[in-house]
Amino acid sequence: MSGGYNEIHPEPTTFWSKYIFSFDHKVIAKQFLWYGIFFLGVGGLMALLIRWTLANPGVPVPLIGNILFSGSGGVVPPDTYAMLFTMHGTIMIFYAITPILIGAFGNYCIPLMIGARDMAFPLLNMLSFWFAFLSGAVLLLSLFIPQGAAAGGWTSYPTLSTLIGSPGAGQTLWCVAIFIFGISSTMGAVNYVTTVITLRAPGMGYFDMPLTVWGLWLTAILNAIFVPVLGAGVILLILDRVFGTTFFLAGASATSGSGDPVLFQHVFWIFGHPEVYILILPAWGIVSDLLSFFSRKPAFGAKATALSMTSISILSTLVYGHHMFTTQMSPLLTQSFMTLTMTISIPSAIFFANWLGTIWKGSIRFDSPMLFSLGVVFVFGLGGLTGLHLGTTTTDLFLHDTYFVVGHFHYTMAASVLLGGFAGIYFWFPKMFGRMMHEGLAKVHFWGTMIPLNGIFFGMLLVGYGGMHRRIYNPFIYESLQRLIPVNNLITTSAILMGFFQLVFVYNLIKSLLSGEKATNNPWEVGTLEWTIPSPPPHHNYDIIPVVKCGPHELGNPNLKTGRDFQYQTEELVQA
Amino acid sequence: MNLLKMGVSAGWLDYFRPPENISTTAHLIDDLFNFTTVMVTFYFILVCIGLFGFSYLYSKKRNKTPYYTYGNKKQHLIVTAFIGAVVFLSIDLNITRIANNDLVNTFWKFPDSKTEKVLKVEVMAQQWMWSFRYAGPDNEFGTNDDIVTNNDLRVPVNTKVLFHLTAKDVIHSFFVPNVRLKVDTIPGRITRVWWEVNKPGKYDIACAEMCGTHHYLMKAALTVYTEEDFNKWLASSSLIAANTNDPQDANLAWGWKWEE
Repeated sequence: MSGGYNEIHPEPTTFWSKYIFSFDHKVIAKQFLWYGIFFLGVGGLMALLIRWTLANPGVPVPLIGNILFSGSGGVVPPDTYAMLFTMHGTIMIFYAITPILIGAFGNYCIPLMIGARDMAFPLLNMLSFWFAFLSGAVLLLSLFIPQGAAAGGWTSYPTLSTLIGSPGAGQTLWCVAIFIFGISSTMGAVNYVTTVITLRAPGMGYFDMPLTVWGLWLTAILNAIFVPVLGAGVILLILDRVFGTTFFLAGASATSGSGDPVLFQHVFWIFGHPEVYILILPAWGIVSDLLSFFSRKPAFGAKATALSMTSISILSTLVYGHHMFTTQMSPLLTQSFMTLTMTISIPSAIFFANWLGTIWKGSIRFDSPMLFSLGVVFVFGLGGLTGLHLGTTTTDLFLHDTYFVVGHFHYTMAASVLLGGFAGIYFWFPKMFGRMMHEGLAKVHFWGTMIPLNGIFFGMLLVGYGGMHRRIYNPFIYESLQRLIPVNNLITTSAILMGFFQLVFVYNLIKSLLSGEKATNNPWEVGTLEWTIPSPPPHHNYDIIPVVKCGPHELGNPNLKTGRDFQYQTEELVQA
Repeated sequence: MNLLKMGVSAGWLDYFRPPENISTTAHLIDDLFNFTTVMVTFYFILVCIGLFGFSYLYSKKRNKTPYYTYGNKKQHLIVTAFIGAVVFLSIDLNITRIANNDLVNTFWKFPDSKTEKVLKVEVMAQQWMWSFRYAGPDNEFGTNDDIVTNNDLRVPVNTKVLFHLTAKDVIHSFFVPNVRLKVDTIPGRITRVWWEVNKPGKYDIACAEMCGTHHYLMKAALTVYTEEDFNKWLASSSLIAANTNDPQDANLAWGWKWEE
């Protein structure tokens, strides 16, 4: 299976080739990790500014208000508010979650977990990071131009995002940044797909891959297919904005021929719905593995979980229309999208049952990666189930574009992915950096994240059901929404609290990097391939390419005579 | 402190309700919402029982030896498949069926002005204002006797009101929380929505689709009159319109020919 690509490359010797323009997947993974954590901080800060404004309209932002918004006496002005939520969404999705879950874990875990020495295309991998870097630079730059950054929402629907609604260069730069990011994502995706297909260690069938790799692989497939669609959409938008075409213009403003603004919504959501699964699949994979590792028993129905994730990936491409019920598509389309959306329940229910089946009768170790994984099961349960309210057309007529939607997608995309990402960081940190993270601080971080997080997002479900709509600068000019002020206060307080506990994580990260306890080769006692080699792994990962003889979840076998309760994948399966 | 404030001020339950229902159709949406909520709460409780129960029962301290299984025995597969099927049959199939019935029998059953009494209103959205147009005495839209109001919609109770909506500049969304309805207004298209309200009073109309900096200010007042009051208002407004509508006024020139 290795096809000759798996040779040992000489180790780089200069600073530039070793740390900056490195071809090594492990270094690129770390670059993506720092990049993602940086943007997570920026996006998180923006979230706090948004929350402050919603709970205290017209009140100056404490501490940083006078520096950032000196023109308005420290108060977030309405146009800046629109920029903040647009940039918060864009940054969190494309520049925080994608780099951490896909860029960092994808790069780090795929080659190590399938027993490869690097990605299939190391140069492409390096370019993928630097294109992402360029894209991030363009996006950040757009914050500092005269008319400010894009402010039409992360969905940037025309005609608001055309010159009619957004005359400044910010929206064009947004499109350029997203397009460059698309190039980066596509490069990464092609690389991951090829790597998984061609570089699996001898003996490793698809169902011998850890579920983490399954999740990342499916994500990469969806990315390779659908990110180019978004690329096409933003190119058309750039043409409309810069070259005077009218793909998305209609009505009074379409003076030179009429296009259709709804066309963009179709293009956007053909990409946008798979994107939701692009973000969550790696987290699902990680959680499926970690639940098994820390319950000390095989993943329950691992094959069914892998196949459920596959069928969800396929279904995700067929349901995008449920984002557009209020545009009044044809009744047949509405009915079809509603029905198809509902079928996603079946695979979801199956892997939820498998997750619970995995911890059932286990011998559970509540280390921090496990706590975060269990947290994912909880928050994804809430997020997934509230999706049912939105998938049915009639309730969506009320709930669409309210905070109920915001609460729902934050539970699925933000909370689950964030917790899954933290689980991954705590789990692979020892392998990545050769040191352990502080377990006590990690547990403080878990509870300090988990509890306020539910305050935030459940609060959002409540205010949305109460009738509060999205993306409004001051909800309380509506008298009917004034009764929701206390809930908005609760959300904001929770958000500040959650933000504070992320500082514990940052402290733990830095302190562990510098002076954490040295990690052994296999601190968690699991059998997947990356734990058979030193922490951190040498430049070429494997001196000898391992030969895989059993699955990734061989834990708790009563017939093991090795004194361990788990088997490495390189060991012949002991029959129970 | 906020928790305390919430508990003391209005009673917890007040935060767990939608806006007041003022229409004859909103209960369909509320009923479906409640049904869905009951079902998902049930399943979420099951997940929590599994999650917390197993975490308690099978911690390393309480259960030293894990049960070695791949979960691929026949009975395991049956249980998993059974859960998938039960979830789908109990929630998804039901809510899809109910929603589809409601759409076909109610929300998509637009009133026909040939056979029943219908108040027709044209709506035009622009940054950041709602304009409403009533046909006036000649019952034709786009003529000089049309009554045009800005950010001020007045409708009678117990009458079906049919709206045809469009937008001038960017996409907006016509959202009336009290009737649980929302429809996008899109440049170059006409979308439709109808309702029948039954509680006189003053309510909010909001724009629900991000439409620029002052999106949050794009609010209109909805006044629901008794039939008698509405007719009085319509008569006086017709008179005002007849006297003051200026055919040269570009701001009034947006009406279109009504087609059903």
